[in-house]
Amino acid sequence: MIIDFDALWKVLVAGLAAGAGLVAVYALGLVALAARAAPGPRHAATALAVACFAIVGAGAACGLYVILAG
Amino acid sequence: MDANTLLLGLVVLTALAFDFTNGFHDTANAMATSIATGALPPKAAVTLSAVLNFAGAFLSLQVAATIATGIVDSGAVTVTVVFAGLVGGLAWNLLTWYYGIPSSSSHALIGGVVGATLIAAGAGAVKGSGIVANVLVPALLAPLFAILVATLGTYLVYRITAGVPGRLRTRGFRLGQIGSASLVSLAHGTNDAQKTMGVITLALVANETIGAEDGTPFWVVFACALAIGLGTYVGGWRVIRTMGKGLIEIESPQGFSAEGSSAAVIFAASHFGFPLSTTHVCSGSIMGAGVGKRLAEVRWGLAGRMVTAWLVTLPAAGLVGALAWKGTDLIGGAAGVAVVFAAAVVFGAGLYRASRRAPVDHTNVNHEWTGTVVPTREPVK
Repeated sequence: MIIDFDALWKVLVAGLAAGAGLVAVYALGLVALAARAAPGPRHAATALAVACFAIVGAGAACGLYVILAG
Repeated sequence: MDANTLLLGLVVLTALAFDFTNGFHDTANAMATSIATGALPPKAAVTLSAVLNFAGAFLSLQVAATIATGIVDSGAVTVTVVFAGLVGGLAWNLLTWYYGIPSSSSHALIGGVVGATLIAAGAGAVKGSGIVANVLVPALLAPLFAILVATLGTYLVYRITAGVPGRLRTRGFRLGQIGSASLVSLAHGTNDAQKTMGVITLALVANETIGAEDGTPFWVVFACALAIGLGTYVGGWRVIRTMGKGLIEIESPQGFSAEGSSAAVIFAASHFGFPLSTTHVCSGSIMGAGVGKRLAEVRWGLAGRMVTAWLVTLPAAGLVGALAWKGTDLIGGAAGVAVVFAAAVVFGAGLYRASRRAPVDHTNVNHEWTGTVVPTREPVK
């Protein structure tokens, strides 16, 4: 049989990491944004939101690079 | 105009027509969730997707002049086989669109070519193990992978944002949806337009219009990009409705996790060289988005019908491909190709006319799902 099991599990792991992982990070970014509106220290929340959205953006850019270069 | 030029011209036209149906059949993959949740107005969604498909087609760096590699013997792929295969894929795409069923355009094309090869060159030219490894196994795994990823993603998204005010949450995820859907559109243009470019290049090489070592001519790239972009813009509203409204009642967090899961699995599959179909991945992601939200309902009956259609795609497109080859062969020469081409046009026009009797378009695509592709009544306000 010529099913590429090696590629298969890589697709699953990468899919889970990027698909579920980045989606969760984005959600975390929204939580941080919501925290900014609440009373209390705002700098930490702002920094967390920026960091989250930057990670998601970097993930998307990485994905684009991968399909365009491959 | 000699017979060869006519033949080549008809093959190119058929390939572009297939590319067009590839576009409108698959608009749903990227945009169904964004349209259903109201992240984008329907017309804006298809326009954005069309532009990205067009751009994506230009971004494909290398066009391989191969078709169904590892599935049929490349020596058996003549221009007539390519033509018959395209007719098979085209017919299946149109039929599934009419019934609003998302199905893989690549599998339809492969099916058509396999059917035409079977009857043209015999069973020896078709590699059964290649079909299992490249078509059947991926068709089963793609939705399973996507369901898994989207279920986890959706569960996390709802858990994490449970305390976020509704307005911010909806707006935030709608924005995210637009971003992730754009990625899926771009990837679609890059992958799928390339297939048609490959088919046309193959026909040009077989006709000795260009040498085997020459690259794909620019007009081919441009025509394919335009065909898939226009097809996307026209929008397969019937399929969009099934995916956006039929499978689950979708909210923006679900739409975002579904598109995010689709983009990730498609990119990963493309990078690691595993041939997953965009359509299967996107449908699976939407089902997963239903599974991952507590108390959400997935209409498994409809999902089952879709999976059945995926398994039937190969033999059905193959049958049409085989008939198209036989018809072309019996009549013979360019006249045979012209007759089969005319038959395909009549078939397409017939389905189009039938669809106009109860149209699904941007005005009613989001009407309440009552079990049918064509909305049965006005939406409940």
